[in-house]
Amino acid sequence: MEAATATSARPASRNETRGALAVGRRALNWLLNAYAGLALIYLLVPIAVIVVFSFNNPVGRFNFIWNEFSFEAWGDPFGVQGIGDALINSIEIAALSTVGATILGTITALALVRYEFRGRAPVNFFIFIPLATPEVVLGAALLSLFLNAGVATGFNTILIAHIMFNLSFVIVTVRSRLIGFDRSLEEAAQDLGATPWETFRLVTLPLIMPGVISAALLAFALSIDDFVITNFNAGSTITFPLFIWGAARVAIPPQIYVLASMIFLFTLAMMLITVWQQRRAEKMAAIRPDEPETA
Amino acid sequence: MTPNDDHLDREIERLIRNPVTRRRLMQRGAAGALSMSALAYLAACGTDEPSGGGGNGGDGGPKPIPKGKIADSLYFANWPLYIDEKRESLKKFQDKYGTKVKYVEEINDNNEFFGKVRQQYDRGDSGGRDIHVVTDWMAARMIRLDYVQKFDKSAMPNATKNLIPSLASPPFDPKRDFSMPWQSGIAGIIYRKDKVKSEPKTVDALFDPAYKGKVTFLTEMRDSVGVVAAWQGADPEKASVDEFMKAIDKLQEGVDSGQIRGFTGNEYIKDITKGDSEVILGWSGDAVQLKADNPNIEFVIPESGGHLWTDNMQIPVGAPHAFTAEKMIDFVYDPEIQADIAAYVNYICPVSGVKEVLEKQDPDLASNQLIFPDDQFLENTFIFRGLDPEEEQQLDDAFQQVLGA
Amino acid sequence: MPAGLKKAGLPYLLLLPGLGWLLLFFAVPLVIMLIESLKTGSIDFGFTLTWEFSNYTDALDTYSEQFLRSFEYAGLATLFALVIGYPLAYVIAFRGGKWRNALLLAVIVPFFVTYLIRTLSWETILSDSGLVVDTLRTVGIVSEGGRVLDTTASVVAGITYNFLPFMILPLYASLERIDTRLLEAGYDLYGRRRDVFLRVTLPLSMPGVVAGTLLTFIPAAGDFINAELLGTPRQFMIGNVIQSRYLEVADYPTAAALSFLLMAFMLIIVIIWARIAGTEALLGTEGERR
Repeated sequence: MEAATATSARPASRNETRGALAVGRRALNWLLNAYAGLALIYLLVPIAVIVVFSFNNPVGRFNFIWNEFSFEAWGDPFGVQGIGDALINSIEIAALSTVGATILGTITALALVRYEFRGRAPVNFFIFIPLATPEVVLGAALLSLFLNAGVATGFNTILIAHIMFNLSFVIVTVRSRLIGFDRSLEEAAQDLGATPWETFRLVTLPLIMPGVISAALLAFALSIDDFVITNFNAGSTITFPLFIWGAARVAIPPQIYVLASMIFLFTLAMMLITVWQQRRAEKMAAIRPDEPETA
Repeated sequence: MTPNDDHLDREIERLIRNPVTRRRLMQRGAAGALSMSALAYLAACGTDEPSGGGGNGGDGGPKPIPKGKIADSLYFANWPLYIDEKRESLKKFQDKYGTKVKYVEEINDNNEFFGKVRQQYDRGDSGGRDIHVVTDWMAARMIRLDYVQKFDKSAMPNATKNLIPSLASPPFDPKRDFSMPWQSGIAGIIYRKDKVKSEPKTVDALFDPAYKGKVTFLTEMRDSVGVVAAWQGADPEKASVDEFMKAIDKLQEGVDSGQIRGFTGNEYIKDITKGDSEVILGWSGDAVQLKADNPNIEFVIPESGGHLWTDNMQIPVGAPHAFTAEKMIDFVYDPEIQADIAAYVNYICPVSGVKEVLEKQDPDLASNQLIFPDDQFLENTFIFRGLDPEEEQQLDDAFQQVLGA
Repeated sequence: MPAGLKKAGLPYLLLLPGLGWLLLFFAVPLVIMLIESLKTGSIDFGFTLTWEFSNYTDALDTYSEQFLRSFEYAGLATLFALVIGYPLAYVIAFRGGKWRNALLLAVIVPFFVTYLIRTLSWETILSDSGLVVDTLRTVGIVSEGGRVLDTTASVVAGITYNFLPFMILPLYASLERIDTRLLEAGYDLYGRRRDVFLRVTLPLSMPGVVAGTLLTFIPAAGDFINAELLGTPRQFMIGNVIQSRYLEVADYPTAAALSFLLMAFMLIIVIIWARIAGTEALLGTEGERR
């Protein structure tokens, strides 16, 4: 890992700013930046392809070869039969499962961090296991449950599945937020006479909100994108990823790319908003004077 | 396999589905009972003879769907891109009967669909579906497992009258009491005219090293294995399991050597359009559409024989609007309506009289052998024979291994 | 513990909904799947519990190739993700400055496009007669009659791509947390950049490395979409087999056995990794009150 030279966070020694050493260092720096830049490009190329091809007017049913530029698909994004319904299903499920998982998960995380009780370590481990389980196994196991219980698979079973796998993510995310949390504010509120519930509602909750929101966002993204677990438990309900999976065998109209681009832009916007909110919240919460401002 | 099973067979199957007696059966080492059922099955099917007499032996086989009122909604499950694009045919049905049709393209693969609905059908619950469309062998399985209802033919005059003769009496449903063809097709060779050295007339081309890595086969076992078995000299209408296994071995060889790039469902369309494949096994209906978009693509029935298959409409058990479903089935057998569908779907049309209707609108389409084949064209096709459950499992398992899973 | 918050039963009450959900919809299904894996039968004639432990040995035997291949591909993908992701995370953490959040966003952003579409996009990009492969052929990396799509390379590349953010984010999180004062102390002690990196930065980023590798390896090993869309049957992984056994062939006992075997392997790897790195790093419970 030669290229991983440290930053200029520390004042450079006089010798290092001049001479051959300096040239070598700058070259390595440049190399590192270039490498990182290439990695970033690698990450973004397929996305660019998707956005570009959403403007394609393909010959035939498959949108794989660039033909000509056209706004047609953007003008009629729900033109493909069933795509609108599938998308609505996905959004509904994502919204509901996000709410469910976030509420359940936050409560659980609070219990895990704030209280000492017997069995805390095993519970921590148990919560971690779904994260270590491949999706195929999760989906298949749930299907087994439903099959044996005689429950028909469909919208509700998808919802149950999504809340299940989102729970672990939410718990882990919120928990890591809670661990770094400064309790002195809560104690101050208590000293001022607030009841435990008031303390929670007026002090704790707003302060952990950024963590809760990022957990919720994560849950939403995971849910709307989920294919494997949904595939096992969907019955005849079709979500957006399922629609793509089924449709992709027969045709890939540009509308799929259009909708994907739209979801992408929407989530991007949401992310930007929350990041902005988060910064404001952090500024308000960072009352401690000796902590250095993060860049 | 005929629906008019032996009484014994019926009883055993009913017992098997009941969990309590199933356990007892098993506990008594009822492998005997099971193989009895398999034997009875073997005895009753595998041949073209209709089983004994017209009546359902003993205490009632299925009764035909009773007449009723036309419902105001219908759930029609089908494969993607299998109906006219703007769904005119469905709109016309709504105009005539006032029924709103919920058309769901949820069937992408016979096995996958079966896996999805099996549990429900087993409990007599169709999951809301009134019609589903599955390929011959799956239709046969549905009938065998009592997952579909018997038609009341008097409610379907058009269907009875207009079904083309070649499809009127398949071995698994000789009186067409439990299934009606939706569309038919041929699995044959699709190729890129601009990329091949000469027209591939035989299956040799699919194994020609010149096309190594540019060949794909179909995930439908009967298509791939049938065509290869026919090429190897067997007759898939009568061949033994061993002969089919030989074909499977040949396919495995192709995978191992890198000759065969993969096995696909409809997605071969994108591969051959992109040029990632050059000579493949594909379906006739797709070929018509592909040709329209890309004149470099051609379809040919291999000399040793292409596989003629049919997708069938069936009414599942517990369908909430069975009578209306019958009306829908009958409706699409009206040549005027079917013309809309045939013009878009481009598979082999099972309704007689459509050719004449289309001749006025689109003579090119009407003279297309792939949609309205004459007997001579169909000479080089075979229908894969019926398999009993054990044979099916054996071949399916072996084929899945070749598929890498 | 702030006064007033400590009531005896409260923690358990709070735990109940979340934990209960996981128990009902995660633990119980696993148990049922376990039972299913010990049955024999078929879809036509039903399944019965016969304590068929041979399902496990048979499954391992028949599908050993796919198991090994899954670990191989997942391992390669994790390695590549580490090699690609670490420098990127490092640059963002230490050189990012005010662009840090934007860069992070750029890393996460591909995730906002559905997994399937991302993979399909690669199918377009790597197409035999596409721009990328043509260029590679001209340069000589790909042989004349060769291809990139439908090979091991494309499958591994696809897996790497799809799980790269899972590697980068934990790496970034732990790199970012490194107190700069420690770095300064390191310079005072060691002087050379290389030493500071090897002896201060790298060890301090280990929790991130552990989390990243696990978060990448585990889902990668169970993946089947990349193999299906970007590979041939010769690249199929254990995920493909499980999928097929469940949804195509309806061979539930074998499918259940395979699922458990996969899970068992994963847990073993996790436990070994946890031993190496320490459980706290693993569970993210560092700093938790004991």
